[in-house]
Amino acid sequence: MARSALQSNKRIGQGPLPAAAYVPAACVVVAILFCTLPIILENGWFPDFGFLMLIAWRLRRADVWPAWWAAVLGLINDALSGAPIGLSVAVWTGAMLLTEIAERRILWKDYWIEWALAALLIAMNETAQWQVAAWTGARLPFTAVVPTLFISIAAFPIFAWAVAGIDGWRLRRR
Amino acid sequence: MAAPRPGWSRRAQYGLFFSFIAAIVALGLGLILLAISIAAPSRFNDLRGLALDATSPITNSLSGINATANGLMSGAGDYWDAAEQNAGLKAQNAALRRQITEARAIMLDNRELRAALRLREQTPTAVAVGRIVSSSFESPRRFAILSAGTGDGVQEGMPVRSPDGLIGRILHAGTVDSRILLVSDRASTVPARLLTTGQAVLCQGRGDGSVDLKPLEVGRNPFKPGDVVITSGVGGLYPPLIPLARVVRLQGDGAIGVPLAALGSTTVAIVEQPYEPEASLPPPPQGDEGPIP
Repeated sequence: MARSALQSNKRIGQGPLPAAAYVPAACVVVAILFCTLPIILENGWFPDFGFLMLIAWRLRRADVWPAWWAAVLGLINDALSGAPIGLSVAVWTGAMLLTEIAERRILWKDYWIEWALAALLIAMNETAQWQVAAWTGARLPFTAVVPTLFISIAAFPIFAWAVAGIDGWRLRRR
Repeated sequence: MAAPRPGWSRRAQYGLFFSFIAAIVALGLGLILLAISIAAPSRFNDLRGLALDATSPITNSLSGINATANGLMSGAGDYWDAAEQNAGLKAQNAALRRQITEARAIMLDNRELRAALRLREQTPTAVAVGRIVSSSFESPRRFAILSAGTGDGVQEGMPVRSPDGLIGRILHAGTVDSRILLVSDRASTVPARLLTTGQAVLCQGRGDGSVDLKPLEVGRNPFKPGDVVITSGVGGLYPPLIPLARVVRLQGDGAIGVPLAALGSTTVAIVEQPYEPEASLPPPPQGDEGPIP
């Protein structure tokens, strides 16, 4: 006991990163930028990286950002991904508010409930994309978005895992 | 984790409250923006052009690396069974040479006949040449990014083709990059005809890299698997005689085809003038008409 007190404590003076409050939003912007990667595919089955990163952060921490930041991030996503301007603004902000309402109802949250909530939000996002595509002249049968729906839901744990790692790094909690 | 409670601090409670008011206002603004972009799709073109140009350094530089890696992979693959490929290619080459001789004779004949008829036809002029550098791999819509923009003379609505066939048309043009609406997008409808019989058909995308082919006249299904469909030039946007799609499967009174310009292996994309100049005007706003019956 006395000996350990003599050792230097390396954790003293270590706090969160200076810009820890902005790390989550920066993560979402990086995930949005994935859509500019030179991947050329005939179908659009990849998950919506920006949205998955957004809800992964939000479901991990309730106070990760003020809810309206989602609107700004959504506008960036719309401009970069070629979706109609306003689609992600509305859907992403709506997802923040829905999560808030859901978390006030849920008494305790475990991983399965978090995944189910994420699946619900992903389904909402894909349905909105499909409906807006139909309104802009591209009416597809709903079965066309089912593969990407399942791929996105299956990809959520990967994003939740990445977010947990980044969260530990930004708060310097190892 | 239960719902966030900022404790007894009034300031923190008000901060949380106002952030939710701001979020609800933002949601309303988003819905208004969405309504504007559905009603007037060209409203935000400046913003889109700006975004395309801002991300072009990422897309274009990474695309070079991607192309090199792909080239190495396929190059190594080609060495694997070079002897067998060589024999096959020689046979193909001989067959093609015979066909070219026939085609030259037909072209000469054609030119003389046209001259006799005094038929004038605009030859399509290439505006710009670019590369397909990216695609909308996380959206139900089918877009691609072309590495040529208004700086090269590209305008919205211009048709884009590759040596293999039609790719689509320009949707948004930035200064250095532009976004293409692919023929496999659901909102893309191309007037076409069958190469064998000349029957008029419509080609509409299915959103997954294939296209729906429907005959314009009701009757017997005119398609056979393997048939090639070319553009007809009707409507004035797409020039005629560009290869478009190959029939792979019959379905109902139509067929399902795949575009002949395979995106993954397309290296050059050529932007051309609209076939008839007046067709370069934006098309009248289309309502939600659903799939073509």
